[in-house]
Amino acid sequence: MAAGSDRELNKATVRVLQVLSNFASDVEGFGVTELSQLLGMTKNMTYRALTTLVEQRYLSRDADSSRYQLGYRILELQNPHAIEPDLRTLCAPFIRRIHLLTGESVTLCVRAMDYCVLIDGVETRRPGVWRVRIGDVLPMFALAAGRVMLAFGGDEALVDYIGRNRPLRHPRTGEQVSVDELKGQVALIRERGYARVKRASTMVSAGFPIWDLEGHLHGAISVGGPAERFEAQLDEQLPELLEIMDELNSRTRLFSANAAGSELN
Amino acid sequence: MALDRRSAINSSATHVFQVLRLVSEAEEPLGVSEISRRLGLPASTVYRALITLEESDYIVRYQNMPRYELGPMPQLLNRALVHRFKLHASARPVLRTLAERTGETASLTVRLGWYGLRLAGVYGSRDIYHRDRLGEVTLLHKSLPGRGILAFLDDRERTAYRAFVEAQGAPSGAVDWRALDTRLAAARNAGLEHEVLTADGLAAVALPVRSPDHGVIASIAINGPVFHPGEDEPADGLRAQRQLEAEIATAPHEFHSPFAHLAVDEIVIRTSPLDGR
Repeated sequence: MAAGSDRELNKATVRVLQVLSNFASDVEGFGVTELSQLLGMTKNMTYRALTTLVEQRYLSRDADSSRYQLGYRILELQNPHAIEPDLRTLCAPFIRRIHLLTGESVTLCVRAMDYCVLIDGVETRRPGVWRVRIGDVLPMFALAAGRVMLAFGGDEALVDYIGRNRPLRHPRTGEQVSVDELKGQVALIRERGYARVKRASTMVSAGFPIWDLEGHLHGAISVGGPAERFEAQLDEQLPELLEIMDELNSRTRLFSANAAGSELN
Repeated sequence: MALDRRSAINSSATHVFQVLRLVSEAEEPLGVSEISRRLGLPASTVYRALITLEESDYIVRYQNMPRYELGPMPQLLNRALVHRFKLHASARPVLRTLAERTGETASLTVRLGWYGLRLAGVYGSRDIYHRDRLGEVTLLHKSLPGRGILAFLDDRERTAYRAFVEAQGAPSGAVDWRALDTRLAAARNAGLEHEVLTADGLAAVALPVRSPDHGVIASIAINGPVFHPGEDEPADGLRAQRQLEAEIATAPHEFHSPFAHLAVDEIVIRTSPLDGR
């Protein structure tokens, strides 16, 4: 069966599902105007989609504020045999979107002890490739994703990390980062909310945190490529990249980073 | 099959949601012809509904075959709904401590109309553990945590519950009400509902959680311990129960269900026959 084309899909129903999907986030509820702006639909289209969803009882309308919220009938849409989404499943569509936007390599990393483990990603098809090897284990200080995880892991953990790992020398490239440089980067990342790293004047990458419901990190996503090609492009695309990450985080904030093996998912 | 014909958008959306509900309650992935047969809809309508749902991540193909199962989006929506209950956040630290102290699975189920909704849970450290599912919904009498709520409702409410279950079309004799009443009375006497599942060597207890203004609103369940009512007391469970009740008492209105404005009989949920076993 071929993937759905515009001809085969019922556009009005697609809009209904798009509106409903927007409620899969940590946001309590939405008004018509807010949703129509978010989804790029007219207010009339949005209102009709919302009305259909209220009729079906997948949404309910707050009588006081005219805002819409999830309805209890959502609970019917579950299957005991279904596998719960893990971090890779949650991030996959967003990794694709970042790759489509930038055309560059995108990686998903989690922390294991003092290292970044690359658990998913897309490699660019352009000449001059930032390599994506699933399963790679890399020092945290060397990567944008790793620096994000260090920045948001707390001061004490950062000091402990530096104590255990100095001198901060990349085992493969020999590249060294001074403690002051790393601390300066961490301060900047905390201020901006993301990391931007330029390595050896040849490679530029940006790293973004993936938050959980308790303010801990699930991991980080980074996108990078040759500086000559990607540096200016990154400046231009940063607002859109941050919007994509906001959307991803509104979903990952529904889950606990401690969930693996210890909490119900 | 009655269709809503008021507008094109409603009719199409109705088909799509019919297909989605069928896929979500199926024991195995379904194909176009099976769905078409079960819903009495033309194959072309089912096909359009399937690709629309697949495009939006509501369903996914099963192992690249032309058969479909539930996708990640409904699970995300379920998770978002669970977050609407304040107890979801408040219970987790309490359950974490309980799971650490007992080594067993600790969970919280809230009352939603005449149903129990599992809102939070933490696994213990033992090698053999009880697997629970967040978002599971069952009629109160059908699960141990649900009975941990039902047993502590007053007589009037329990009578209303029976009327509700019978009005939902439960086959005559499907529920042995006399046996259930005896069981619930025993639970009230013990202050908790208890069950020994000898088949898999597990046991469980459920303790009611009360709000000062709404009576029993939830139950804490510990799955795993072998407990002898009248002889032992599940001290860790009682501690967790008191801790949660004390937190609720500080601002009871904040812990009201987001659906508290609905009449209790108004909440009707099609539950999975696979849940609550």
